Amino acid sequence: MVRLIGREPYSAQVLRLFEMTPRAGRAGTGPDWATGESHEPLSATQVRAHLRVVSDQILEARYEVRGCPVTVAAAALIAERWSGRTLPDARIAPRAVLADLEASVSKLGRVLVVESAFQKALQAARTNA
Amino acid sequence: MSIYLDHAATTPIDARVVARMADVMASVHGNPSSTHNPGRIARGLVETARDDLAALIAGQSGQIVFTSGATEADNLALFGLMRGAPAEQRHLVTSRIEHRAILDAARQLEAEGVRVTYVDADREGRVPVSAVEAAIGPQTRAVSVMWVNNETGVIQDVMAMAAICRARGVIFHSDAAQALGHLPIRLCDTGIDLASLSAHKMGGPAGVGALWVGARAAPLLKPILFGGGQEHGWRPGTLPLHQIVGLGEASRIAAEQLAQDIAHYQAMTELLAARLSTLPSVQRNGPAELRAPHILNLAFGGVDGEALHASLPGLAISGGSACGAERGEPSYVLRSLGRDDPAAEASIRFSVGRQTTENDIELAAKIVENAVKKLRSLWSD
Repeated sequence: MVRLIGREPYSAQVLRLFEMTPRAGRAGTGPDWATGESHEPLSATQVRAHLRVVSDQILEARYEVRGCPVTVAAAALIAERWSGRTLPDARIAPRAVLADLEASVSKLGRVLVVESAFQKALQAARTNA
Repeated sequence: MSIYLDHAATTPIDARVVARMADVMASVHGNPSSTHNPGRIARGLVETARDDLAALIAGQSGQIVFTSGATEADNLALFGLMRGAPAEQRHLVTSRIEHRAILDAARQLEAEGVRVTYVDADREGRVPVSAVEAAIGPQTRAVSVMWVNNETGVIQDVMAMAAICRARGVIFHSDAAQALGHLPIRLCDTGIDLASLSAHKMGGPAGVGALWVGARAAPLLKPILFGGGQEHGWRPGTLPLHQIVGLGEASRIAAEQLAQDIAHYQAMTELLAARLSTLPSVQRNGPAELRAPHILNLAFGGVDGEALHASLPGLAISGGSACGAERGEPSYVLRSLGRDDPAAEASIRFSVGRQTTENDIELAAKIVENAVKKLRSLWSD
Protein backbone atom coordinates (compact mmCIF):
# COMPACT_ATOMS: atom_id res chain seq x y z
CA MET A 1 0.00 0.00 0.00
CA VAL A 2 1.61 3.21 -1.13
CA ARG A 3 0.25 6.65 -0.26
CA LEU A 4 1.24 9.66 -2.30
CA ILE A 5 2.39 12.66 -0.31
CA GLY A 6 3.73 15.51 -2.36
CA ARG A 7 5.99 14.11 -5.02
CA GLU A 8 7.22 11.04 -3.10
CA PRO A 9 5.27 7.85 -2.71
CA TYR A 10 5.68 6.22 0.69
CA SER A 11 4.74 2.72 1.75
CA ALA A 12 2.62 2.04 4.81
CA GLN A 13 5.76 0.78 6.57
CA VAL A 14 7.65 4.02 5.89
CA LEU A 15 4.70 6.09 7.00
CA ARG A 16 4.30 4.11 10.23
CA LEU A 17 7.95 4.40 11.17
CA PHE A 18 8.19 8.04 10.08
CA GLU A 19 5.11 9.06 12.00
CA MET A 20 5.74 6.97 15.14
CA THR A 21 9.58 7.22 15.17
CA PRO A 22 9.94 4.25 17.54
CA ARG A 23 13.20 4.20 19.52
CA ALA A 24 14.15 7.72 18.49
CA GLY A 25 16.24 9.51 21.07
CA ARG A 26 19.63 10.38 22.40
CA ALA A 27 22.05 8.02 24.12
CA GLY A 28 21.55 7.36 27.77
CA THR A 29 24.24 8.16 30.26
CA GLY A 30 26.86 5.64 31.23
CA PRO A 31 29.76 3.77 29.70
CA ASP A 32 27.53 1.11 28.10
CA TRP A 33 26.51 3.47 25.32
CA ALA A 34 28.37 3.69 22.01
CA THR A 35 27.62 6.22 19.31
CA GLY A 36 28.28 6.43 15.58
CA GLU A 37 27.48 9.33 13.28
CA SER A 38 27.26 9.78 9.56
CA HIS A 39 26.13 12.52 7.23
CA GLU A 40 25.72 13.31 3.59
CA PRO A 41 26.27 17.00 2.95
CA LEU A 42 24.46 17.42 -0.36
CA SER A 43 21.07 16.51 1.06
CA ALA A 44 22.08 17.59 4.60
CA THR A 45 21.13 14.12 5.85
CA GLN A 46 22.48 13.39 9.33
CA VAL A 47 22.17 10.22 11.35
CA ARG A 48 23.48 9.39 14.80
CA ALA A 49 23.11 5.83 16.10
CA HIS A 50 23.35 4.94 19.77
CA LEU A 51 23.79 1.38 21.09
CA ARG A 52 23.71 0.25 24.68
CA VAL A 53 25.80 -2.90 24.72
CA VAL A 54 26.40 -5.18 27.68
CA SER A 55 28.26 -8.46 27.40
CA ASP A 56 28.12 -8.58 23.62
CA GLN A 57 24.42 -7.94 23.56
CA ILE A 58 22.66 -4.82 22.26
CA LEU A 59 20.22 -4.05 25.05
CA GLU A 60 18.91 -0.97 23.31
CA ALA A 61 19.35 0.87 20.02
CA ARG A 62 18.37 4.50 19.52
CA TYR A 63 18.92 7.08 16.82
CA GLU A 64 18.83 10.74 16.05
CA VAL A 65 18.11 11.76 12.50
CA ARG A 66 17.63 14.71 10.20
CA GLY A 67 16.51 13.38 6.87
CA CYS A 68 13.72 12.36 4.57
CA PRO A 69 10.94 9.98 5.65
CA VAL A 70 12.77 6.95 4.25
CA THR A 71 15.91 7.91 6.20
CA VAL A 72 13.89 8.21 9.40
CA ALA A 73 12.11 4.94 8.70
CA ALA A 74 15.35 3.12 7.94
CA ALA A 75 16.90 4.30 11.20
CA ALA A 76 13.80 3.25 13.13
CA LEU A 77 13.70 -0.15 11.42
CA ILE A 78 17.33 -0.93 12.19
CA ALA A 79 16.97 0.28 15.77
CA GLU A 80 13.96 -1.99 16.24
CA ARG A 81 15.76 -4.99 14.76
CA TRP A 82 19.05 -4.52 16.55
CA SER A 83 17.60 -4.07 19.99
CA GLY A 84 18.15 -7.39 21.75
CA ARG A 85 20.57 -8.83 19.23
CA THR A 86 24.11 -9.94 19.93
CA LEU A 87 26.92 -8.02 18.28
CA PRO A 88 27.73 -10.77 15.75
CA ASP A 89 24.06 -10.86 14.74
CA ALA A 90 23.84 -7.12 14.19
CA ARG A 91 24.04 -6.80 10.42
CA ILE A 92 22.47 -4.54 7.85
CA ALA A 93 21.82 -5.25 4.19
CA PRO A 94 20.88 -1.82 2.78
CA ARG A 95 19.03 -3.23 -0.23
CA ALA A 96 17.05 -5.52 2.05
CA VAL A 97 16.15 -2.51 4.21
CA LEU A 98 14.94 -0.71 1.09
CA ALA A 99 12.89 -3.75 0.13
CA ASP A 100 11.40 -4.06 3.62
CA LEU A 101 10.43 -0.41 3.47
CA GLU A 102 9.12 -0.78 -0.08
CA ALA A 103 11.21 2.27 -0.88
CA SER A 104 12.56 3.36 -4.22
CA VAL A 105 16.13 2.45 -5.10
CA SER A 106 16.73 6.20 -5.46
CA LYS A 107 16.74 6.22 -1.66
CA LEU A 108 19.65 3.78 -1.40
CA GLY A 109 22.08 6.65 -0.70
CA ARG A 110 20.04 7.74 2.31
CA VAL A 111 19.89 4.17 3.66
CA LEU A 112 23.66 3.93 3.29
CA VAL A 113 24.02 7.00 5.54
CA VAL A 114 21.89 5.20 8.15
CA GLU A 115 23.88 2.01 7.74
CA SER A 116 27.15 3.90 8.14
CA ALA A 117 26.02 5.49 11.43
CA PHE A 118 24.93 2.14 12.89
CA GLN A 119 28.12 0.42 11.71
CA LYS A 120 30.21 3.13 13.36
CA ALA A 121 28.24 2.72 16.57
CA LEU A 122 28.78 -1.02 16.38
CA GLN A 123 32.50 -0.49 15.88
CA ALA A 124 32.58 1.88 18.86
CA ALA A 125 30.76 -0.69 20.97
CA ARG A 126 33.30 -3.37 20.04
CA THR A 127 36.14 -1.01 20.91
CA ASN A 128 34.52 -0.26 24.27
CA ALA A 129 34.23 -3.98 24.95
CA MET B 1 -9.94 17.21 4.35
CA SER B 2 -7.08 19.55 3.58
CA ILE B 3 -6.68 23.18 4.46
CA TYR B 4 -6.17 24.69 1.05
CA LEU B 5 -3.31 27.18 1.04
CA ASP B 6 -2.16 26.79 -2.54
CA HIS B 7 -4.15 29.52 -4.28
CA ALA B 8 -1.09 30.65 -6.24
CA ALA B 9 -1.24 27.27 -7.98
CA THR B 10 -4.94 27.54 -8.66
CA THR B 11 -7.96 28.94 -6.87
CA PRO B 12 -11.29 27.24 -6.28
CA ILE B 13 -13.71 28.53 -8.88
CA ASP B 14 -15.99 31.14 -7.37
CA ALA B 15 -19.55 29.82 -7.06
CA ARG B 16 -20.84 32.81 -9.00
CA VAL B 17 -18.50 31.95 -11.85
CA VAL B 18 -19.63 28.32 -11.84
CA ALA B 19 -23.26 29.42 -11.96
CA ARG B 20 -22.63 31.81 -14.83
CA MET B 21 -20.66 29.24 -16.82
CA ALA B 22 -23.27 26.54 -16.22
CA ASP B 23 -26.00 28.87 -17.34
CA VAL B 24 -24.16 29.68 -20.56
CA MET B 25 -23.30 26.05 -21.24
CA ALA B 26 -26.93 25.08 -20.76
CA SER B 27 -28.51 27.85 -22.72
CA VAL B 28 -26.15 29.24 -25.36
CA HIS B 29 -24.84 27.11 -28.18
CA GLY B 30 -23.78 29.51 -30.90
CA ASN B 31 -20.29 29.92 -32.25
CA PRO B 32 -19.26 33.50 -31.53
CA SER B 33 -17.91 33.75 -35.08
CA SER B 34 -21.27 32.83 -36.65
CA THR B 35 -23.46 35.60 -38.00
CA HIS B 36 -26.81 34.02 -37.12
CA ASN B 37 -28.73 34.85 -33.99
CA PRO B 38 -27.26 32.19 -31.64
CA GLY B 39 -23.82 33.23 -32.88
CA ARG B 40 -24.55 36.87 -32.18
CA ILE B 41 -25.74 36.01 -28.68
CA ALA B 42 -22.51 34.12 -28.08
CA ARG B 43 -20.50 37.01 -29.52
CA GLY B 44 -22.25 39.39 -27.17
CA LEU B 45 -21.26 37.27 -24.19
CA VAL B 46 -17.65 37.14 -25.38
CA GLU B 47 -17.54 40.90 -25.75
CA THR B 48 -19.11 41.42 -22.32
CA ALA B 49 -16.40 39.20 -20.84
CA ARG B 50 -13.77 41.16 -22.75
CA ASP B 51 -15.18 44.40 -21.35
CA ASP B 52 -15.17 42.99 -17.82
CA LEU B 53 -11.54 41.92 -18.08
CA ALA B 54 -10.62 45.26 -19.65
CA ALA B 55 -12.28 47.07 -16.76
CA LEU B 56 -10.28 45.05 -14.23
CA ILE B 57 -6.97 45.96 -15.85
CA ALA B 58 -7.89 49.44 -17.09
CA GLY B 59 -7.16 48.49 -20.65
CA GLN B 60 -9.23 48.73 -23.79
CA SER B 61 -11.39 45.77 -24.73
CA GLY B 62 -9.95 45.68 -28.23
CA GLN B 63 -6.50 45.09 -26.80
CA ILE B 64 -7.42 41.76 -25.23
CA VAL B 65 -6.64 38.48 -27.01
CA PHE B 66 -8.19 35.44 -25.37
CA THR B 67 -5.86 32.45 -24.99
CA SER B 68 -5.89 29.13 -23.20
CA GLY B 69 -4.12 30.70 -20.24
CA ALA B 70 -1.06 32.67 -19.20
CA THR B 71 1.38 30.07 -20.56
CA GLU B 72 -0.04 30.41 -24.03
CA ALA B 73 -0.13 34.18 -23.65
CA ASP B 74 3.57 34.12 -22.66
CA ASN B 75 4.36 31.97 -25.69
CA LEU B 76 2.38 34.23 -28.00
CA ALA B 77 4.17 37.29 -26.61
CA LEU B 78 7.69 35.92 -26.88
CA PHE B 79 7.47 33.86 -30.06
CA GLY B 80 5.12 36.38 -31.65
CA LEU B 81 7.62 39.16 -31.09
CA MET B 82 10.90 37.37 -31.60
CA ARG B 83 10.21 35.08 -34.53
CA GLY B 84 9.16 38.04 -36.59
CA ALA B 85 12.10 40.17 -35.53
CA PRO B 86 14.58 41.40 -38.12
CA ALA B 87 18.08 39.93 -37.83
CA GLU B 88 19.43 43.02 -36.08
CA GLN B 89 16.78 42.81 -33.33
CA ARG B 90 17.00 39.22 -32.24
CA HIS B 91 17.86 39.86 -28.60
CA LEU B 92 15.57 39.17 -25.65
CA VAL B 93 16.15 40.16 -22.03
CA THR B 94 14.47 38.30 -19.21
CA SER B 95 15.26 37.23 -15.64
CA ARG B 96 16.38 33.95 -14.13
CA ILE B 97 13.39 33.80 -11.80
CA GLU B 98 10.66 33.85 -14.42
CA HIS B 99 7.99 31.18 -14.62
CA ARG B 100 8.89 28.17 -16.74
CA ALA B 101 6.47 29.42 -19.37
CA ILE B 102 8.96 32.21 -20.06
CA LEU B 103 12.22 30.37 -19.37
CA ASP B 104 11.36 27.36 -21.50
CA ALA B 105 10.12 29.60 -24.30
CA ALA B 106 13.34 31.63 -24.05
CA ARG B 107 15.43 28.47 -24.31
CA GLN B 108 13.50 27.44 -27.40
CA LEU B 109 14.10 30.87 -28.88
CA GLU B 110 17.81 30.46 -28.17
CA ALA B 111 17.69 27.20 -30.10
CA GLU B 112 16.16 29.18 -32.94
CA GLY B 113 19.02 31.69 -32.95
CA VAL B 114 17.69 34.40 -30.65
CA ARG B 115 20.20 35.79 -28.17
CA VAL B 116 18.78 35.82 -24.65
CA THR B 117 20.20 37.65 -21.64
CA TYR B 118 19.08 36.34 -18.24
CA VAL B 119 19.24 38.97 -15.50
CA ASP B 120 19.88 37.75 -11.94
CA ALA B 121 17.60 38.66 -9.07
CA ASP B 122 19.07 40.10 -5.89
CA ARG B 123 19.01 38.23 -2.55
CA GLU B 124 15.51 39.49 -1.84
CA GLY B 125 14.19 38.16 -5.12
CA ARG B 126 13.96 41.51 -6.86
CA VAL B 127 15.09 41.91 -10.43
CA PRO B 128 17.14 45.13 -10.32
CA VAL B 129 15.87 47.74 -12.75
CA SER B 130 19.46 48.85 -13.31
CA ALA B 131 20.45 45.33 -14.35
CA VAL B 132 17.60 45.17 -16.84
CA GLU B 133 18.61 48.54 -18.21
CA ALA B 134 22.24 47.44 -18.50
CA ALA B 135 21.21 44.32 -20.38
CA ILE B 136 19.36 46.27 -23.07
CA GLY B 137 21.44 46.81 -26.17
CA PRO B 138 20.92 48.11 -29.68
CA GLN B 139 19.69 44.68 -30.81
CA THR B 140 17.17 44.21 -28.00
CA ARG B 141 13.68 43.63 -29.30
CA ALA B 142 11.92 42.86 -26.03
CA VAL B 143 12.22 42.56 -22.26
CA SER B 144 10.05 40.14 -20.28
CA VAL B 145 9.87 40.31 -16.48
CA MET B 146 7.03 38.92 -14.41
CA TRP B 147 4.94 41.32 -12.34
CA VAL B 148 4.66 39.15 -9.23
CA ASN B 149 6.90 36.17 -8.63
CA ASN B 150 4.77 33.07 -8.27
CA GLU B 151 6.97 31.53 -5.55
CA THR B 152 8.00 34.44 -3.36
CA GLY B 153 5.25 36.93 -4.15
CA VAL B 154 7.85 39.64 -4.76
CA ILE B 155 6.47 42.52 -6.80
CA GLN B 156 8.91 43.59 -9.50
CA ASP B 157 9.24 47.22 -10.46
CA VAL B 158 7.68 46.64 -13.85
CA MET B 159 6.62 50.28 -14.25
CA ALA B 160 10.23 51.45 -14.09
CA MET B 161 11.34 48.70 -16.44
CA ALA B 162 8.55 49.53 -18.86
CA ALA B 163 9.50 53.21 -18.81
CA ILE B 164 13.11 52.38 -19.61
CA CYS B 165 12.05 50.05 -22.40
CA ARG B 166 9.80 52.70 -23.86
CA ALA B 167 12.62 55.23 -23.83
CA ARG B 168 14.91 52.74 -25.56
CA GLY B 169 12.37 51.65 -28.15
CA VAL B 170 12.10 48.15 -26.69
CA ILE B 171 8.86 46.21 -26.13
CA PHE B 172 8.14 45.30 -22.51
CA HIS B 173 6.16 42.17 -21.65
CA SER B 174 5.09 41.07 -18.19
CA ASP B 175 3.55 37.82 -17.01
CA ALA B 176 0.86 39.22 -14.73
CA ALA B 177 -0.77 35.90 -13.81
CA GLN B 178 -0.14 36.37 -10.07
CA ALA B 179 -0.84 40.09 -10.14
CA LEU B 180 -4.30 39.90 -11.68
CA GLY B 181 -6.94 40.02 -8.98
CA HIS B 182 -4.29 40.53 -6.31
CA LEU B 183 -2.99 44.01 -7.08
CA PRO B 184 -4.62 47.06 -8.59
CA ILE B 185 -3.61 46.98 -12.25
CA ARG B 186 -3.98 49.89 -14.63
CA LEU B 187 -2.28 48.77 -17.79
CA CYS B 188 -3.11 52.00 -19.59
CA ASP B 189 -0.91 53.88 -17.08
CA THR B 190 2.04 51.54 -16.86
CA GLY B 191 3.89 51.70 -20.16
CA ILE B 192 3.71 47.92 -20.34
CA ASP B 193 3.24 46.73 -23.91
CA LEU B 194 2.13 43.13 -23.39
CA ALA B 195 0.70 41.41 -20.31
CA SER B 196 -0.17 37.75 -19.80
CA LEU B 197 -3.30 37.07 -17.77
CA SER B 198 -4.94 33.99 -16.31
CA ALA B 199 -8.43 33.22 -15.02
CA HIS B 200 -7.76 30.36 -12.62
CA LYS B 201 -5.57 32.35 -10.24
CA MET B 202 -8.50 34.61 -9.36
CA GLY B 203 -11.54 32.38 -9.01
CA GLY B 204 -12.05 31.70 -12.70
CA PRO B 205 -11.75 28.44 -14.61
CA ALA B 206 -8.47 26.88 -15.74
CA GLY B 207 -7.91 26.78 -19.47
CA VAL B 208 -8.55 30.40 -20.29
CA GLY B 209 -6.53 33.56 -20.09
CA ALA B 210 -5.53 36.47 -22.24
CA LEU B 211 -2.72 38.46 -23.68
CA TRP B 212 -3.19 42.20 -23.40
CA VAL B 213 -1.61 43.81 -26.45
CA GLY B 214 -0.77 47.49 -26.21
CA ALA B 215 -0.62 49.80 -29.18
CA ARG B 216 3.17 49.75 -29.53
CA ALA B 217 3.37 45.96 -29.55
CA ALA B 218 0.44 45.30 -31.86
CA PRO B 219 2.20 45.98 -35.19
CA LEU B 220 5.16 43.80 -34.16
CA LEU B 221 3.26 40.79 -32.81
CA LYS B 222 2.89 37.87 -35.22
CA PRO B 223 0.58 34.88 -34.68
CA ILE B 224 2.10 31.58 -33.67
CA LEU B 225 -1.00 29.52 -34.44
CA PHE B 226 -2.81 29.44 -37.76
CA GLY B 227 -6.24 28.34 -38.78
CA GLY B 228 -8.71 31.20 -38.58
CA GLY B 229 -9.05 34.89 -38.11
CA GLN B 230 -10.30 34.98 -34.53
CA GLU B 231 -8.85 37.38 -32.02
CA HIS B 232 -7.46 39.75 -34.64
CA GLY B 233 -5.73 36.78 -36.25
CA TRP B 234 -3.43 36.39 -33.26
CA ARG B 235 -5.23 33.45 -31.75
CA PRO B 236 -7.19 31.40 -34.24
CA GLY B 237 -9.66 28.74 -33.18
CA THR B 238 -13.26 28.65 -32.04
CA LEU B 239 -13.61 30.72 -28.91
CA PRO B 240 -14.41 28.64 -25.80
CA LEU B 241 -17.51 30.57 -24.86
CA HIS B 242 -18.16 29.19 -21.37
CA GLN B 243 -14.48 29.56 -20.43
CA ILE B 244 -14.38 33.14 -21.61
CA VAL B 245 -17.62 33.91 -19.80
CA GLY B 246 -16.03 32.40 -16.68
CA LEU B 247 -13.01 34.66 -17.07
CA GLY B 248 -15.28 37.65 -17.56
CA GLU B 249 -17.33 36.86 -14.48
CA ALA B 250 -14.21 36.27 -12.39
CA SER B 251 -12.90 39.64 -13.61
CA ARG B 252 -16.15 41.39 -12.76
CA ILE B 253 -16.12 39.94 -9.25
CA ALA B 254 -12.44 40.73 -8.76
CA ALA B 255 -12.97 44.34 -9.85
CA GLU B 256 -15.96 44.67 -7.56
CA GLN B 257 -14.19 43.46 -4.43
CA LEU B 258 -10.50 44.01 -5.14
CA ALA B 259 -9.81 46.26 -2.18
CA GLN B 260 -11.65 43.91 0.15
CA ASP B 261 -9.83 40.88 -1.29
CA ILE B 262 -6.42 42.50 -0.96
CA ALA B 263 -7.09 43.45 2.66
CA HIS B 264 -8.22 39.88 3.38
CA TYR B 265 -5.17 38.28 1.71
CA GLN B 266 -2.86 40.65 3.53
CA ALA B 267 -4.48 39.93 6.89
CA MET B 268 -4.31 36.17 6.37
CA THR B 269 -0.64 36.04 5.30
CA GLU B 270 0.38 38.46 8.05
CA LEU B 271 -1.41 36.36 10.64
CA LEU B 272 0.32 33.23 9.39
CA ALA B 273 3.71 34.95 9.35
CA ALA B 274 3.15 36.20 12.89
CA ARG B 275 2.14 32.77 14.16
CA LEU B 276 5.08 30.98 12.54
CA SER B 277 7.61 33.63 13.48
CA THR B 278 7.41 32.32 17.04
CA LEU B 279 9.39 29.31 15.82
CA PRO B 280 13.16 29.77 15.79
CA SER B 281 15.09 29.63 12.49
CA VAL B 282 12.23 30.59 10.24
CA GLN B 283 13.18 32.92 7.41
CA ARG B 284 11.03 34.69 4.93
CA ASN B 285 11.97 34.00 1.33
CA GLY B 286 11.70 37.46 -0.13
CA PRO B 287 10.98 40.77 1.56
CA ALA B 288 8.11 41.49 3.93
CA GLU B 289 7.26 44.61 1.94
CA LEU B 290 6.59 44.96 -1.77
CA ARG B 291 5.13 41.52 -2.11
CA ALA B 292 1.78 40.36 -3.37
CA PRO B 293 -0.65 40.05 -0.46
CA HIS B 294 -1.63 36.42 -1.08
CA ILE B 295 1.79 34.74 -1.03
CA LEU B 296 4.02 33.96 1.94
CA ASN B 297 7.13 31.86 1.43
CA LEU B 298 9.02 30.66 4.49
CA ALA B 299 12.19 28.61 4.94
CA PHE B 300 12.33 26.35 7.98
CA GLY B 301 15.85 25.76 9.24
CA GLY B 302 16.95 22.52 10.86
CA VAL B 303 14.50 20.22 9.11
CA ASP B 304 14.64 18.11 6.00
CA GLY B 305 12.41 19.54 3.31
CA GLU B 306 10.95 16.26 2.15
CA ALA B 307 10.24 15.21 5.73
CA LEU B 308 8.60 18.56 6.39
CA HIS B 309 6.29 18.29 3.43
CA ALA B 310 5.52 14.66 4.26
CA SER B 311 4.60 15.74 7.78
CA LEU B 312 1.88 18.06 6.51
CA PRO B 313 -0.65 15.82 4.77
CA GLY B 314 -3.46 17.96 6.14
CA LEU B 315 -2.24 21.03 4.32
CA ALA B 316 -2.47 21.71 0.62
CA ILE B 317 0.68 23.76 0.22
CA SER B 318 3.52 23.96 -2.24
CA GLY B 319 7.29 23.72 -1.97
CA GLY B 320 7.89 26.09 -4.82
CA SER B 321 5.70 26.47 -7.83
CA ALA B 322 3.18 23.75 -8.47
CA CYS B 323 4.57 23.60 -11.98
CA GLY B 324 8.03 22.80 -10.58
CA ALA B 325 6.85 20.29 -7.99
CA GLU B 326 6.34 17.59 -10.60
CA ARG B 327 10.04 17.61 -11.42
CA GLY B 328 10.99 17.14 -7.77
CA GLU B 329 13.83 19.64 -7.98
CA PRO B 330 14.60 22.33 -5.42
CA SER B 331 13.16 25.66 -6.51
CA TYR B 332 15.43 27.55 -8.92
CA VAL B 333 13.80 30.76 -7.71
CA LEU B 334 14.80 30.15 -4.10
CA ARG B 335 18.27 29.02 -5.15
CA SER B 336 18.64 32.29 -7.00
CA LEU B 337 17.93 34.06 -3.71
CA GLY B 338 21.01 32.35 -2.32
CA ARG B 339 19.27 29.45 -0.58
CA ASP B 340 21.16 26.17 -0.81
CA ASP B 341 19.27 23.06 -1.90
CA PRO B 342 18.34 21.82 1.61
CA ALA B 343 17.05 25.29 2.57
CA ALA B 344 15.15 25.63 -0.69
CA GLU B 345 13.58 22.22 -0.13
CA ALA B 346 12.64 23.08 3.45
CA SER B 347 10.62 26.06 2.24
CA ILE B 348 6.87 26.30 2.00
CA ARG B 349 4.86 28.60 -0.19
CA PHE B 350 1.58 29.41 1.50
CA SER B 351 -0.91 31.22 -0.69
CA VAL B 352 -4.29 32.30 0.54
CA GLY B 353 -7.56 33.04 -1.19
CA ARG B 354 -10.98 34.49 -0.74
CA GLN B 355 -12.22 31.38 1.08
CA THR B 356 -9.31 31.24 3.53
CA THR B 357 -10.49 31.87 7.07
CA GLU B 358 -8.71 32.94 10.22
CA ASN B 359 -9.50 29.50 11.59
CA ASP B 360 -7.73 27.91 8.60
CA ILE B 361 -4.66 30.00 9.32
CA GLU B 362 -4.62 29.23 13.05
CA LEU B 363 -5.01 25.53 12.36
CA ALA B 364 -2.39 25.53 9.60
CA ALA B 365 0.08 27.39 11.82
CA LYS B 366 -0.43 24.83 14.57
CA ILE B 367 0.04 21.91 12.16
CA VAL B 368 3.25 23.39 10.77
CA GLU B 369 4.55 24.29 14.21
CA ASN B 370 3.97 20.76 15.52
CA ALA B 371 5.60 19.19 12.47
CA VAL B 372 8.67 21.42 12.66
CA LYS B 373 9.05 20.86 16.40
CA LYS B 374 8.75 17.10 16.01
CA LEU B 375 11.28 16.93 13.18
CA ARG B 376 13.71 19.15 15.08
CA SER B 377 13.32 16.98 18.18
CA LEU B 378 14.73 14.05 16.21
CA TRP B 379 18.14 15.68 15.98
CA SER B 380 20.33 17.48 18.48
CA ASP B 381 23.14 19.74 17.30
